[in-house]
Amino acid sequence: MRKLKIPLNKINLEDERFRISYHSNLDKIILSLKKIGLVNPPIVTLREPHIILVSGWKRVLGYISLSFSQIPVYMLDEKNDLKTFKMSFYENLATRSYNTIEKAEVVGRLKKFGEDENSIIKKYFPLINIPSTRSHLDVYLAAFEFEPEIKKLVLEKNTAFVSLQLLTEFSSWERRILLPLLSCLSQNKIKEILEDILEICRKYNMPAWKFLLSRDIMDIKVAENLSSLQKADKIRLILKRKRYPTLFSWTKSFDSVLKKICWPEEISISPSKYFEGEEISVNFNFKNMEEFRKKLDELQKLSSKEEFSDMFKLDMDE
Amino acid sequence: MNKKEYFPKKIFIEKDSLDYPLTRKIIKNTQGIPYEIIENSQDLIEEIKLSKDPGKEGKKYLLITKQKGEFVKPCPCTPNYIGCNYFIINLDINCPLDCSYCILQHYLSNPMITVHVNTKDLWDQLDTFLYRNRKHILRIGTGELGDSLVLDHITERSKDLIYYFRSRKNAIFELKTKTVNIKNILEIEPADNIVIAWSLNSNKIACEEEKNAPSVNDRIEAARKVEKKGYRVAFHFDPIIRYAGWEEGYSEVINELFGRINPLKIAWISLGSLRFPPDLKTIIKERFPETRIIYDEFIRGKDGKFRYFKAIRFQLYRKIVRLINRNGGGRVPLYFCMESSELWGKVLMIKPKGKEEVEKYLSLPFYKPKY
Repeated sequence: MRKLKIPLNKINLEDERFRISYHSNLDKIILSLKKIGLVNPPIVTLREPHIILVSGWKRVLGYISLSFSQIPVYMLDEKNDLKTFKMSFYENLATRSYNTIEKAEVVGRLKKFGEDENSIIKKYFPLINIPSTRSHLDVYLAAFEFEPEIKKLVLEKNTAFVSLQLLTEFSSWERRILLPLLSCLSQNKIKEILEDILEICRKYNMPAWKFLLSRDIMDIKVAENLSSLQKADKIRLILKRKRYPTLFSWTKSFDSVLKKICWPEEISISPSKYFEGEEISVNFNFKNMEEFRKKLDELQKLSSKEEFSDMFKLDMDE
Repeated sequence: MNKKEYFPKKIFIEKDSLDYPLTRKIIKNTQGIPYEIIENSQDLIEEIKLSKDPGKEGKKYLLITKQKGEFVKPCPCTPNYIGCNYFIINLDINCPLDCSYCILQHYLSNPMITVHVNTKDLWDQLDTFLYRNRKHILRIGTGELGDSLVLDHITERSKDLIYYFRSRKNAIFELKTKTVNIKNILEIEPADNIVIAWSLNSNKIACEEEKNAPSVNDRIEAARKVEKKGYRVAFHFDPIIRYAGWEEGYSEVINELFGRINPLKIAWISLGSLRFPPDLKTIIKERFPETRIIYDEFIRGKDGKFRYFKAIRFQLYRKIVRLINRNGGGRVPLYFCMESSELWGKVLMIKPKGKEEVEKYLSLPFYKPKY
């Protein structure tokens, strides 16, 4: 590897074959370049007729932002893409950990440059903290092919592996339809919504796009008076109703009993989780004996209402 | 394996498991199948785990090894639901059948069909275990980590186990299977404390979800032969699965069952609805992409596993219990596997306080004159 200085415009940045990091914030690298200069030059290599970047994208982009015309680089004389990529991989590995999308880029590129699948699982997965299984390989290879905007979403939301896996089960077109809906949601809600859509579609043997373009969903998506978050919440509710119809109806019946007997807001009441246990819990706060007695009186009165007992006999046949 | 018996593609024998009578018996019963002696199985297991479908790949190989730990363990059941105080013998691990819902896909870290050949240690451990529990009537069986009979033409274990248990009167021994591999069973005399049990399901579920397993009719026919020989039989409707037409599906099987089996010879029937830990769901999705059974209305139960919403379980159980009663099974002890006391009460009209009561309920008929 030779160290030399080359004009920045000689580097062909359109050739991204070795690039694994996208959507990076350049503020810190620019600050570092301003304060201490370029300590560790990027690695480049020649792929006739161009010089292309092997590693150091942020450094090069930082240099461009600072309007430099030349940059010190290491020139790598390796012609084999796999060997060259490994240089970039190990260089990055020594200094930082990879995010989910970078892992997908590493896995995808190793495969693309001819590395054997078993060797990727056995040799590389432990280095980048991926469990050594074939199914992880399949998911990362699929994520490598994701659309750039989906990769950006995964990165921004710090999406967990399980959601990444769920996203691979949608087609490219379906992922694009989903994007506006997912953009305003937290990591957990993204997982929940993806899982519900997939399972409803599997259950009813329907392609996801058909469900996503169904009237129920489209009416909400085009509603002008709703914010993105409100739309997402309404869609989540539709999904829950379709996914858990019996549970939904039990919850509705339970709430309607409370409404009928005018259950006071300051005393909270809830059935066991998913009604799985027989217990119902009641919770209230009080400051003194008088308040405590008042609440008990209130509960006593509520329990003497005829409809109160309905809460214990939700219909098993529903 | 529908009619054919299972034979592995290759047998791996751990070096220190070579000099055992059972190893020699297996080699004799699998003539023509290549075998290889290995130092240990770890590398082999890791290699299989790297294949596209380790679950499927592992079933091609038989591993002969020794049980280094305890053979006998309490059935792990599940937390926060009522168990039945069952004990399991971990003899042969894993199963060549390939049921989509099988918990072993998630539970076992070794995907190979594994036979533990240190049988002498088993008898020693059983002697100690039964002596320590001599004041209890124990229910014990081999069908938890594998099918009790699927390898019986290779290992002939059923004979040894029945010989052993027939004189241990404080144990009720159960062999649990989905197969029709009953040749050895029919060759030996039955005993009162030996139960041969079949897992049953509707024909549709058996056909679509229980790959390599014999048809339900064949299983019932095998049960009939075993019952005629004089054995007590038992049946496990587990997992009960809801699908469009499930009522007719289960009705058909229950009619068939009671049409061929004398209800007085049925030791028990257990019922359990489909349940699975979250990790198993991922495996099922990967290994059986065509299955729809995991997409019904499942909630996370008190044990963290997915199970049908309570009202659905109630409907499934109530229907099946009614079908059993209507078909002449009114006096057969029924019990739930891993179910809440609420559903015990609402469906079976009994509310056991714990697993000991269930154990008593199931073992008592063995010591009362019944017929």
